[in-house]
Amino acid sequence: MSERRPYRRPMPPNWWAHAPYRAYTARELSGVAVAIYGAVLFAGLISLWRGPDSYDAYLRFLRSPVSLLLHALLLAAVLYHVVTWFQTLPKTMPKLILDGKQVPPQKITQIATLAAGACSLALLLFTLWVAR
Amino acid sequence: MPEAAIAEKTVELRILRYRPASDDRPSFGSFEVPYAEDMSVLQALQTVKDTLDGTLSFRWSCRMAVCGSCGMMINGKPRLACNTFLRNLPPGPITIEPLNNFPIERDLVVTVGDFVKKIESIYPYIIPKEPKTIADGPYLQTPAQLAAYESFSDCINCMLCYAACPQFGENPDFIGPGAMALLQRYNGDSRDGGRQKRLDTIHGEDGVWSCTAVGICSEVCPKHVDPANAVNQNKTNSAFDFFLRFLRKEGAR
Amino acid sequence: MSDAVQEKRSISPIFWLLFGAGGMLSALFGPALILITGLLAPTGYGLPESFESYGHALAFAQNPIGKLVLLAVVSLFFWHGAERLYLTLKDMRAGPLLVLKFATYGVAAVVTLATFALLLAIGF
Repeated sequence: MSERRPYRRPMPPNWWAHAPYRAYTARELSGVAVAIYGAVLFAGLISLWRGPDSYDAYLRFLRSPVSLLLHALLLAAVLYHVVTWFQTLPKTMPKLILDGKQVPPQKITQIATLAAGACSLALLLFTLWVAR
Repeated sequence: MPEAAIAEKTVELRILRYRPASDDRPSFGSFEVPYAEDMSVLQALQTVKDTLDGTLSFRWSCRMAVCGSCGMMINGKPRLACNTFLRNLPPGPITIEPLNNFPIERDLVVTVGDFVKKIESIYPYIIPKEPKTIADGPYLQTPAQLAAYESFSDCINCMLCYAACPQFGENPDFIGPGAMALLQRYNGDSRDGGRQKRLDTIHGEDGVWSCTAVGICSEVCPKHVDPANAVNQNKTNSAFDFFLRFLRKEGAR
Repeated sequence: MSDAVQEKRSISPIFWLLFGAGGMLSALFGPALILITGLLAPTGYGLPESFESYGHALAFAQNPIGKLVLLAVVSLFFWHGAERLYLTLKDMRAGPLLVLKFATYGVAAVVTLATFALLLAIGF
């Protein structure tokens, strides 16, 4: 075995940008979009604390085309987050055994995604009702 | 007597070669082998070794996807060579390289010693809940109890999941999907009482916490073991243990 | 026989649970929240333009339940994004890990404290 000289191939530094890892990177960035929306709310809280004039400037920003476009993009990103979140969720749970067989993870994903849709819908309807 | 030459369909294999005694770094060699409808990549490699270059080195054994020896990168994807058929690959040269993320010993043979150590490190045997003699009779297990861990027992140690895992590529000390599947095979077994002992081996950065749930390990697994599930459900276990460990009775198993 | 070395325990569980809570909260209510606060109220579609007025916003922020909601949403959304961003930047080898941790978890911590302070300062 005197000839052993194992060769380590370096990992490409941009592996995250190539197949099959692109979908994973997109999923992670959709989670960052969640924080970006959080930042928009945080900015609103700051301007609320500073007073009516500051808050009015914030509202003017919210009504601007830039903000509307931003929120449309955030909505798309967060919807992608919702879908991929429930695809990942079954992995963090032990196998669910019903009637002696494993419940397929896809079933758990389906049910959880529908439940999440129902939650958002409920919040939306509740808000519309409260605002009458 | 002139004979009509029968045009034989051939396929080109581009194989990454490396001979530690003579090469500074790996380089591709090209081989043309006759094509047959029922040929696997393994058979193509064997044809090269038998008829074109006897120095080509690669691991193989069962030829039927149960021994886990012939894992390699085929057209950039971690596959078992015996289970990958030429007829299913796109036309053109087939690129064959050793499994990603492992050091190359020679040609398509990678270093497996670290993987074996990881397997050994997670107590890969039933640790009985209570001492039991043969006179006590066998363990009884319902189909539901078997289903709870069965997929994890199907692992053939082929290491395709390690080749697919970018976090293992970045951190070779990461315990990895295969070892975690074996860990969960025992922790999920109703006969076993060593759950905490095994959990205690994976609380570190090189344990489950190197995993970022990429999930491709489960996609490439030829036996549908679902190692991603083994790793990620133990993130949940490790996280709860982090906070609830102070409630554990000292010395309790 | 195995000679497993007990590895030093990682503190990742803290950030992972915060990431999980934020991920679940945003998965359940994120789309509705973005629609309501960012698209419906500002444009007046479905919601009156006065929905997000100073008076309404102040009343919400001064209400104890409103405060809890705002703290949970802002803080957990930031902790979720922080973990995602930290791991992505780590994948991209964007810098020394300690710097990345401060830039992500550090910001989430600061925002959590600031939100708490602002909500108190806004009063009841």
